[in-house]
Amino acid sequence: MFDLIIRNIMNRKVRSALTVCGIALGIFAVIVMGAMSENFHQTFERSMSVTSDKIRVFSESGVFGGGLTEDKVSDVLRVAGVKDAYGLLMTTFDEDKMGMTGKQILGVPPEKSSVALYPVDLKAGRFLNPGDSYNVVVGSNIQREYKLQIGSKFEIHDKYFTVVGILDYTGSIFDNAVIIPLETAQDLYDVGNSVSYIFAVPDERIDAEMLSKRIELSVKGTSTLSPGELEVQARQSFMIFSVITISSGLLAAIIGGLCVMNTMLMSVAERTREFGILKAIGAETRDILLLTLGEASFMGLFGGILGILVGSVAVYIMNAWLANTRIVLFLITPRLLVIAMLFALLIGALSGLYPAYRASKMSPMEALKHA
Amino acid sequence: MPEMGIEEEVFETPEKPEKDESTLNLENEGQKIILQVENLSKTYFQGKIPVHALRCACITVRKGELLAIMGPSGSGKSTLLALIGTLEKATDGKIILDGTDLTSVPEKLLPRVRREKIGFIFQHYNLIPTLSALENVELSMRFSRVPKKEREERAKALLEELGLGDRLSHKPSELSGGEQQRVSIARALANKPTVILADEPTGEVDSKTRDSIVRVFKELSEKGQTILVVTHDPEVAKECSRVVRIKDGTIKDH
Repeated sequence: MFDLIIRNIMNRKVRSALTVCGIALGIFAVIVMGAMSENFHQTFERSMSVTSDKIRVFSESGVFGGGLTEDKVSDVLRVAGVKDAYGLLMTTFDEDKMGMTGKQILGVPPEKSSVALYPVDLKAGRFLNPGDSYNVVVGSNIQREYKLQIGSKFEIHDKYFTVVGILDYTGSIFDNAVIIPLETAQDLYDVGNSVSYIFAVPDERIDAEMLSKRIELSVKGTSTLSPGELEVQARQSFMIFSVITISSGLLAAIIGGLCVMNTMLMSVAERTREFGILKAIGAETRDILLLTLGEASFMGLFGGILGILVGSVAVYIMNAWLANTRIVLFLITPRLLVIAMLFALLIGALSGLYPAYRASKMSPMEALKHA
Repeated sequence: MPEMGIEEEVFETPEKPEKDESTLNLENEGQKIILQVENLSKTYFQGKIPVHALRCACITVRKGELLAIMGPSGSGKSTLLALIGTLEKATDGKIILDGTDLTSVPEKLLPRVRREKIGFIFQHYNLIPTLSALENVELSMRFSRVPKKEREERAKALLEELGLGDRLSHKPSELSGGEQQRVSIARALANKPTVILADEPTGEVDSKTRDSIVRVFKELSEKGQTILVVTHDPEVAKECSRVVRIKDGTIKDH
């Protein structure tokens, strides 16, 4: 049957090629949009994994509301079950590049820099030490973009900092982080002793969720985000983003599917007599189904392969183009490839289902009378 | 033998083969009734108006017979063939082929009946245009799940037997009408059917090709193959062992 299916596709070269291109276009969109979503997903997962042991304590008015000062750190530390607590100041490095792909200044108490960044390792140099003021630890993307080495000078907000440490690549927000001492950051941005949030590290065997509630109740004017809550919140935002990106890809792929259905319906209509002949010489319903569905599925397969290839090339080119700006927007994962391929096959098969049903249900005599 | 007002007539085949031992055996086997059509009727509906395409048809066919079915256009000959070939469902009556009542065979088993017991030959050849002669003959064996090698060998042997040994890889469009019809005969024979149903097999060919096709039918009949031929052509009918005439859906005496 396989050879007959391929032959039927090859016998209508132009039409088959256009149909395959229709699917390929859809799968191309799935790959590109999916790669964008996968990149965000990976950044999100890794960012979660490197900060999952900490409770975030914010000002009651939120992270951008201000009003959270270092004084609160000692209040948080007094809460039973809190092993450690320290404030962090977070601000964007480039005003025009906010969000997860943008660079961030992270003001961290120097003595806490290794624990605040745990489990991120250093590729070179050291973490910040007490007494450091104009020293900086940079994420791997920052290091590559500015071609920094240990000892290089790095300008932040008109001040020059000495690079003392370079972080390993993590695939998380820390790759774009510029870590400086908290006090220096507060001076640099003239925010007094304000911090963006406080990291509270729970004692071992203490339930982070419970502790989070306890902090919120014990320290006035604060609200907390436990690791669990943060994950739920972040996952929701991520889901919305994913739904938008993936559905635009799927929409394109569904249009490709309609293309296959149209082609298959035309093909079935044209080959009505042929199906009549096949039935007359003893083809079973399943043979006709197999022939028609097989044809649609193969077009799905070819479209899928073409879409994945073109999509991957496009993603590669776009990533290379964006490499200068250190913005990684697309990530092709094995999972994405499998989903795209299965989707292409599914589109082909589903689109072929109705035409195949029509072909298999034809009365052989009626089909034979067809001109 | 007249039945229910339907009569059949037996023609003597003008050129009888010499009786050797094998033909004698075939003739003995030829006495066996292979097909019995009993009170077969087919009524279509054009809107709410019933159209009786076939009324109470009765035919008995013995193994090895070459039976011509004649009649004017629209008389019901092709309907009779389609009903025997299970391409259509009868409104009433029975078709007993090789001991099986085809009218009571469940729908889903009919393809198997068509594969194993029936071979079709059509006026317009009805070959698959994208397949070669060899592949066209192989096709019905594919559906019978005959292994590739075996079906290739059998298809090749059949085509060679029909004088198309040098046309195996030719597509239908590269063959003459007569050649296409011989491919179609080979396809009909591929699964060694109990009966071959030929609907106007010489309708599209010249007289020379017609004669060669009829000759093939006669040879097959002599070898014990039962063939029912729907034809308008008296020259074809003349060569058959028996002729049945249909008019207005009723089998008439000639």
